[in-house]
Amino acid sequence: MYKYILETAGDINWMAVFALITFVFIFSLAVLLIFTKSNEEIERLAALPLDDNDLSNGKQSEQ
Amino acid sequence: METVQTVQTEKFSYDNTIVRNFGIATVIFGVVGMLVGLIAALQMIFPELNFGIQYITFGRIRPLHTNAAIFAFVGNGIFMGVYYSLQRLLKARMFSDVLSKIHFWGWQLIIVAAAVTLPLGITSSHEYAELEWPIDIAIALIWIVFGINMFGTILKRRENHLYVAIWFYIATWVTVTVLHVFNNLEIPVHMWKSIPVFAGVQDALVQWWYGHNAVAFFLTTPYLGLMYYFLPKAANRPVYSYKLSIIHFWALIFIYIWAGPHHLLYTSLPDWAQSLGTVFSLMLIAPSWGGMLNGLLTLRGAWDRVRRDPKLKFMVVAVTAYGMSTLEGPLLSIKSINAISHYTDWTIGHVHIGTLGWNGMLTFGILYWLWPRIYRTELFSVKLANTHFWLGTLGILFYAIPLYWAGWTQSMMWKNFTVDGFLAYGNFLETVTQIIPMYAIRAIGGTIYLLGVFIMVYNLWKTASAGSLARNVEVEAPPREKHVRHKGEYWHKWIERRPIQMLFASTVLVLIGGMVEILPMMLINDNVPKIESVQPYTPLELEGRDIYIREGCLGCHSQMIRPMRSETERYGEFSKSGEFIYDRPFLWGSKRTGPDLHRIGEKYPHSWHYNHFLEPESMSPGSIMPPYPWLFDQDINTSYTASKIKVLKTLNTPYGEDYEDVAVAELQEQAKEIADELREQGIEQENLEQKEIIALIAYMQRLGTDIKVQ
Repeated sequence: MYKYILETAGDINWMAVFALITFVFIFSLAVLLIFTKSNEEIERLAALPLDDNDLSNGKQSEQ
Repeated sequence: METVQTVQTEKFSYDNTIVRNFGIATVIFGVVGMLVGLIAALQMIFPELNFGIQYITFGRIRPLHTNAAIFAFVGNGIFMGVYYSLQRLLKARMFSDVLSKIHFWGWQLIIVAAAVTLPLGITSSHEYAELEWPIDIAIALIWIVFGINMFGTILKRRENHLYVAIWFYIATWVTVTVLHVFNNLEIPVHMWKSIPVFAGVQDALVQWWYGHNAVAFFLTTPYLGLMYYFLPKAANRPVYSYKLSIIHFWALIFIYIWAGPHHLLYTSLPDWAQSLGTVFSLMLIAPSWGGMLNGLLTLRGAWDRVRRDPKLKFMVVAVTAYGMSTLEGPLLSIKSINAISHYTDWTIGHVHIGTLGWNGMLTFGILYWLWPRIYRTELFSVKLANTHFWLGTLGILFYAIPLYWAGWTQSMMWKNFTVDGFLAYGNFLETVTQIIPMYAIRAIGGTIYLLGVFIMVYNLWKTASAGSLARNVEVEAPPREKHVRHKGEYWHKWIERRPIQMLFASTVLVLIGGMVEILPMMLINDNVPKIESVQPYTPLELEGRDIYIREGCLGCHSQMIRPMRSETERYGEFSKSGEFIYDRPFLWGSKRTGPDLHRIGEKYPHSWHYNHFLEPESMSPGSIMPPYPWLFDQDINTSYTASKIKVLKTLNTPYGEDYEDVAVAELQEQAKEIADELREQGIEQENLEQKEIIALIAYMQRLGTDIKVQ
């Protein structure tokens, strides 16, 4: 089976189709699942860099 | 019965010493790398600036510059940023202080090894992977140490969620591991020489799969991780859209890995691979610009601060440069544009928008943010930082614009035909002397940029002197809660909490692209049609080829004639993939500061080459190629000729049985023939047949002749 696939590699079609399908699949999955996430959770995650408990940052009041 | 749970916080500390160490290394190697770059740029205007010393000749210091800029400057910058942000994002000290130290000192030793071996001419000639096999192994080991330290920290974290910056770090680690291993599959001949297992087109494909993704996964993804951490910190606001950052991540790592063949458009690479490279490169615009906009929009409502705060200015220019170079890259991957840009200085301009703009300016922004924090003081001078910003920005413009101009000018001259159908600039040199003023302005641009860096060094030095390093920052945080999966829980959150699954998913995505492109090239012979008349190199040509590699000739000369009239008229028959089946490594090159050499064989008499290497200007007045006097003093090293033949035979190069036993004798015989011919042509030199120049001439005269009709 794999030999057959590899032997037809000179033909761009299967590669293009394979690449397109994989990409569309991954992309759609990521988009779909990201937009089902609650906004509060997203806000908390986005704020993670600003909440690092590093007291040396306190001076610049960036907590 | 009810149980009452109280959350107790745990006390721990962040390690700032390792961050400081990598920071210092970043600055030092930034200065060194840029200084070497400036010397190389000046040598392109004044070739005599190598002072006749082989170790600082352009061909040898060019890889020194690229390696120093990429792996020493940006590499240390990555580790500085990762060690700072990883601890804070995970609320955990690094997994092991010992591993941190081994990582730091190991990496610096590798850099020193590179700085010694590259000027000595010890190189595998794969661009951005020039280091020889013992150093390759050291890189792999230190990279694994870094990996263990990073994943160890991730596993002992107190924050459940892995922030998006960490995904970029994970993807970087995985991909660089894969790339480094595959592009350095080689068989050692001796301690400082190896022969790659892939040959010709296959070697080219693997190399540019690596080369492109070194840009993607060393210069881009880790820096995107740093952008997603340090830009919000500097702007004191969360990233514009976290959702967008997730899409940015998955789309980027998936698409990037496929785009390598855009470095090989119009070459002997099969068309299907070239097309894949173009399509995926164009698709890259979407995630790249998504990331850029996400970065810039993070500053929404804070633009007034951008005017006052030099850190933010650096970051804005960095993100803008990222946007510019990630638009330009895909455009350069369109075949019709690539036909103009490839082999010219346009490419050099393009990569410097990336390195000086994106990597450089982001590194400086981070350093200005970080240094006062770890030293618990204020920045010594905001005014000097502002001066640095303007010098940096102007330096980039003065660097890149002349090179765009030079690239375009030269390409148009190469392609210009007279009304009678002849090349308008038949002498390649005319197209070089035309752009030397642009090279001069480029060197001025580089000087301005470097001046800014010196000002930064002073500023950071004074800042550090005024404060004291907070080596261990004491903090406390609650332990990580054991997460129980709820029904209907969002999928991505599941993977975000699981670093191992994340590692696995990134690896699979990256491998899909790599394997689909590379495996067919390796396994299917039809992709590289055989040519009966193509024969392996003779032992003398082989030694000459290794001298060509040692001197870094491919930094300025390609060996790949594209199937275009402007090229076949100038150089001869276009290059066929079957001609390179014994080329280990392939030497196609990627830049033509001098002409293509694939059909140079038998074009000139031996004496022409002899005189040209001794004094290029004697044969080509106005040439900016440096003289190579040492080739006339040094004897051909035949100690390893037999071993080279043996290794090549194990890789199926069809030398006869026991050929290695007679190889040196054949080498001497051919050397004598060439020396005799040279004498007939009026060249006089003692022991001529033993000198390196003879081997190099033998190689030059062989180039591209296998398919010439006699």
